[in-house]
Amino acid sequence: MLLSLITFLPVVFALMIWFSGSNEKALKQMAIAFTLIEFALSLLLFRYYDPSVATLQLVEQHTWVSQMGVSYFMGLDGISFWLVILTTFLTPITLLGSWTAVKSKTKGFLVCMLLLETSMIGTFLAMDAILFYVFFEVSLIPMYFLVGIWGGANRLYATMKFFIYTMFGSVFMLLAIIFMMFMAQSQLGFMSASLLDFYKLEIPFVAETFFSTQTLLFFAFSLAFAIKVPTFPFHTWLPDAHVQAPTPGSVILAGVMLKMGTYGFLRFVIPMFPQATEHWAWVLLALAVVGIIYGALVAMVQTDMKKLVAYSSVSHMGYVLLGLFALNTLGITGAIYQMLNHGISTGALFLLVGMVYERTHTREISNYGGLAGYAPIFSILFVIVTMSSIAVPMTNGFIGEFLILQGTFLAKKEFVFFAVTGVVLAAAYMLWMVKRVFFGKMGKVVQEFKDKNESLDINAREFAVMLPLIIMIFWMGLFPGTILKWSDTSVKHLVNNISKYELVIHKNSEANKSLYSKNDKLNIKEKIN
Amino acid sequence: MLSTFTTMDLYLLSPMILLFIFSLVPVFTKVLNKNNEPSDMMSLYLPLIGIVFAFIATCGIILIKIVNGAPKLIFSGSIMVDGLAMWSVIIVLFITFFALVLIKESSFTPKHLFSEYVMLMLNAAVGMMVVAYSNDFILTFIGIEMASLCLYMLIAMSEETRLSKEAAIKYFVLGSLASAILLYGIAFIFGTTGTTQFAEITETAATLASTSRLFLVGCVLVFVGLGFKVSIFPFHFWTPDVYQGSSSPLTAFMAAGIKAVCFAALLRFFATGFLAVDRASGLVSTIQWLAVMSMMLGNIAALRQNHLKRILAYSSIAHSGYLLMGLLVVGLSTNSVLGASGTLFYLFSYAIMTIGAFGFLSLFEKSENSMVTVDHLKGLAYRRPYLALVISIFMLSLAGIPPLLGFFSKFYIFSAAMKQGLYWLVIWGVVSSVISVYFYLKPVVYMYMKQEDEALVGEFKDSASVSFTVGVSAALIVIVGLSSGPLYALIRGSVLSLF
Repeated sequence: MLLSLITFLPVVFALMIWFSGSNEKALKQMAIAFTLIEFALSLLLFRYYDPSVATLQLVEQHTWVSQMGVSYFMGLDGISFWLVILTTFLTPITLLGSWTAVKSKTKGFLVCMLLLETSMIGTFLAMDAILFYVFFEVSLIPMYFLVGIWGGANRLYATMKFFIYTMFGSVFMLLAIIFMMFMAQSQLGFMSASLLDFYKLEIPFVAETFFSTQTLLFFAFSLAFAIKVPTFPFHTWLPDAHVQAPTPGSVILAGVMLKMGTYGFLRFVIPMFPQATEHWAWVLLALAVVGIIYGALVAMVQTDMKKLVAYSSVSHMGYVLLGLFALNTLGITGAIYQMLNHGISTGALFLLVGMVYERTHTREISNYGGLAGYAPIFSILFVIVTMSSIAVPMTNGFIGEFLILQGTFLAKKEFVFFAVTGVVLAAAYMLWMVKRVFFGKMGKVVQEFKDKNESLDINAREFAVMLPLIIMIFWMGLFPGTILKWSDTSVKHLVNNISKYELVIHKNSEANKSLYSKNDKLNIKEKIN
Repeated sequence: MLSTFTTMDLYLLSPMILLFIFSLVPVFTKVLNKNNEPSDMMSLYLPLIGIVFAFIATCGIILIKIVNGAPKLIFSGSIMVDGLAMWSVIIVLFITFFALVLIKESSFTPKHLFSEYVMLMLNAAVGMMVVAYSNDFILTFIGIEMASLCLYMLIAMSEETRLSKEAAIKYFVLGSLASAILLYGIAFIFGTTGTTQFAEITETAATLASTSRLFLVGCVLVFVGLGFKVSIFPFHFWTPDVYQGSSSPLTAFMAAGIKAVCFAALLRFFATGFLAVDRASGLVSTIQWLAVMSMMLGNIAALRQNHLKRILAYSSIAHSGYLLMGLLVVGLSTNSVLGASGTLFYLFSYAIMTIGAFGFLSLFEKSENSMVTVDHLKGLAYRRPYLALVISIFMLSLAGIPPLLGFFSKFYIFSAAMKQGLYWLVIWGVVSSVISVYFYLKPVVYMYMKQEDEALVGEFKDSASVSFTVGVSAALIVIVGLSSGPLYALIRGSVLSLF
C-alpha cells in the first residue's frame, strides 16, 4: 500500500485544491503543506526498504488487463529508491520557490504540479512496462500545461515541441513493449508486461547486423530515453522548453523529468538487452561524450543565464549516460549519484536564476555585473551551487563525476580522454558567467536598482528554499556513503549479473508484512495528519 | 419459410422491433393531433425510453445467449445473433440515445418537423441494426440503404440552408454510387459462390480466392462500396463537406453509427478468409497502403484546418485507417480474436469519443453558415473550466494519450497488428498518431493558453442536454480507460463466435 499511497496521494491533494476556495495565499500554503506531508510519507521508505538485499520490495501487484497480461505492478529497489525521494524532496522546494513567480491562475498551477508529482513517482515505481509507459506519457500533460500557460513569450512553440518530440520517441518504445509482450507469450507461455518477466526473455541477437531483434528493441527503447534525457542530437527541445518554462517548470523538468530517461536506460535497456548493450554501447557513449563537449561549448557562448544552465544540463546528463554505459559498478553508481546531483544543483541554479529574474525581469548576462557587492547572500549561494555544478571536491558534484570518470576509465578508456575536457569546460562556462554576473564593473540593471535604492538580495523565504539544497550539496559531498548504501546492493546485483539479470520479489517480506500491522497504519495516519 | 419462425427468434430481434415501434410514436401522435407538433413527452422522451427498452432487451439477449446458448443463425440463416451483432447494436443504441438527447436543442433542427426528424433518426438506427445483425449481403445492403436514405433526408432537412443542402446532395450522389458498386460486387460474389450468406461464403472463400478471378473482383467491389461509407482513403472526399454541412449531433450519429455497423459488416466479410491466400497478396498490400494513406492523409490534412468540424472529419478518416489495420489482421489470420476484439473495442471507444466531441461542438453552433473554428475556444478555460476540462479529455483521448480510452483502443489494435507481424503498418500507425497530437492539442492550446477574444466569443447558451452528454462520455472515457480490462475481456469473449 505504501507505494500506491505515495504515488496517488498528490492526486487526492490536487482534487482537494481544485475544490477549495480561490484564496491564492491559502491555496499555496495548502499545497506546500501537502507536498511536505508527501515528503514525510516518502521518508517512511527509509524504514521499510531493506537495502541489504537486492530484491524488489514493497511490491504491489493487481491485474489490470488480464487478457494482455498487463498488471498494476509497483515495486521499489535501490535503483529507484533515491529518485523517488528526490521527487518528493524537490516538489515542496519548488512550490515555495515559486511563491511569487506564478502570479495568475494559481489553482491550476498547483494542480498541475501535484499531478506531475504523481506521474513522476509512478514512473519510477512502475514495474509493469505498460504502467510505466502510462506514467511516462501522463507526465507530459501537466508539464505541457505548465510551460504553455505560465511560460514565456514563445511558450506555445516550446511546449508543443516538447510534447511531440517526447511522444515521438516513446511510441516506438510502446511498440517494443508490445513486441516483448508477445515474446513473453511464446517463451514463457503467458502474455506479460511485467519487467520481471521481460528480464527472463531470451532475445535473439546477431552482432553483425543492425536488423536483429535485440538490436532493434534496444534502439527503440534507447530512442525514447535518449530524447527524454536528452542526448545529443535529440536535445533541441530542451533549451526551448527550459527557457520558456516558468521557474518551477524548469526546476522539475531538469530536476526530475530528465532522470526518467536515464532511469529508463538503467531499468529497461541495460538489463533487458545485455548483448545489444555490450555491442552498441559505443553509440551511446559517443553520443554522451559529444553531448558533454557540445553542451559545454554551446553553454559557453550563451548570453542568457537560463539558456546557459539549460545547455549545462545537456552536458551534465551526458556524464550520467557515460557512467551508465561504462557498465561497471563505479560507473553506474556514479551515474545514479550524478542524477541526484544534477537534480539538486541544476534545480538550485534554475531557482536562483528565477529569483533574480523576478526582480530584474532580465536574464541577459550582459545586463549584470558587480552583483556580489549588492546582493551578497544571493552571490554566496550562487557560487556554492556553481561549485557543486562544476564538481569541486567536497561538493556532491565531485563524487558523482569522479565515480563516473573512474568507472569509464576502467571500462572504456578512449571515451574518458574526451569526457574529461568537459570538466574543464564546465568550470570555464560556469565561472565565466559568475565573473560576468557577480564581479567586475557594476552592470546596467544592478546600477538601476542601486539608484532606486531597492534591494536585490534574496529574502528569508528564498533563503529557506535554498537552505535544504545547500545542505544536501555538502552532505552528499562529504558523506557519500550514507547515500550510496541504499542503492549499492541493487547496483552490484545488476552489474554482477548483467548478462543474465533477474530481479526477484522480496520473499521474506517482513518489511511488507509490518506495513499491515496496526501500529504502522497508525504511524502513517499520524504522519498525514 | 414461416415454419422456421419461433417466438425466440422474434425476441432475438426485439431491439430492432422495439425501436421501430417507438419510432412511429411521434409521427402518429402528430397525425392524430391535427398535424400539430406533439409535446416533448411524445416526440422526445418516449423514443428515448424506447431506446432504453431496446438496450435492456439487448442485455437480455446477451444473458440468454450466455445462459441458454440460443440459436445463432435465425430466419433461414440470414440473421446472425452473436457477440459482434450485439456489441454493434449496443454501440448504435448508445450513439442514437445521445444524438437524440442533443438534437432537440440543436439550432439546425427544424422545430416544425421534429416528429419526422425523430422518426427518421430512429429508422436510421434500425437500418444500422439490420446491418449489425445481418449474415447476408442482401440484408446488409438493405440495412445500409435504409440508414443512408434516412440520413440523406435528415441532413437535407436542416434549418441551415446552404451548406446542409450541398452536403445532402453530395452525400446522396456519392453514396448512391457507392451503393451501386457494393451491389455490383455482391452480384459477382453471388455469381461465383452461389450464395450471399457470409457463413456459407466462408466455406468456399479461401479456395475461390485462389482459383476465381471474378470472386476477387467481387470482393474488391464490396470493399470499395463499404469503404466509401466508412470514408477510407481514397473514398473519403465527401467526409469533410458532409460533416460540416450537418448539425453536430447528426454528424456524431452518422460518424459513429454508420462507421460501427459498416465495420461490423466488413469484419464479417473479412472473416470469411478471402484474404488469407497467396493469390490475394496484391490485394493485401493494397489494403495496407489504403490504411496507411487514410491515417496519414487524415492526420496531415487536419493539421492545416481551423474549422473544428473539419478537423474532426479528417480525424475520422484517420480513425478509419486504424480500424482498417484491425480488419486486415482479421482478414489475414485464420483465428484472429485479437484483431476482431481490438476493432470492436476501437469502435466502441470511438463512439464514446465522437458523441462527446460533437456534443460540445453543438454548443457553439448557432446560425446560418456558422463556422466553429478554434478561435471560438480562445480562453474558454477561464470562463468555463469544466467544459474546457472535458473538451481536453476528448482531445487527449482521441490523440491516444494514456491512460484515457483512446490510448487503450489504439493499444489493442496495434497489439493485434504486431501479433500478425504487420510491423511496418504499425510504425506508420504510431507515426501518424504522433502527427495527430498537433491538431488534437490545438483546441487545448486555444482554450488554455490564449487570451479570449470578445468579438468571437459572443453569448453561448447553456444546455443541460449537452452538459449531460459530454459529462457522461467524458466520465466513460476516464473510467473505461482506467479499467479497460473487463470490457475488453467481455468483447473478446463475444467475438469468439466469429471464427
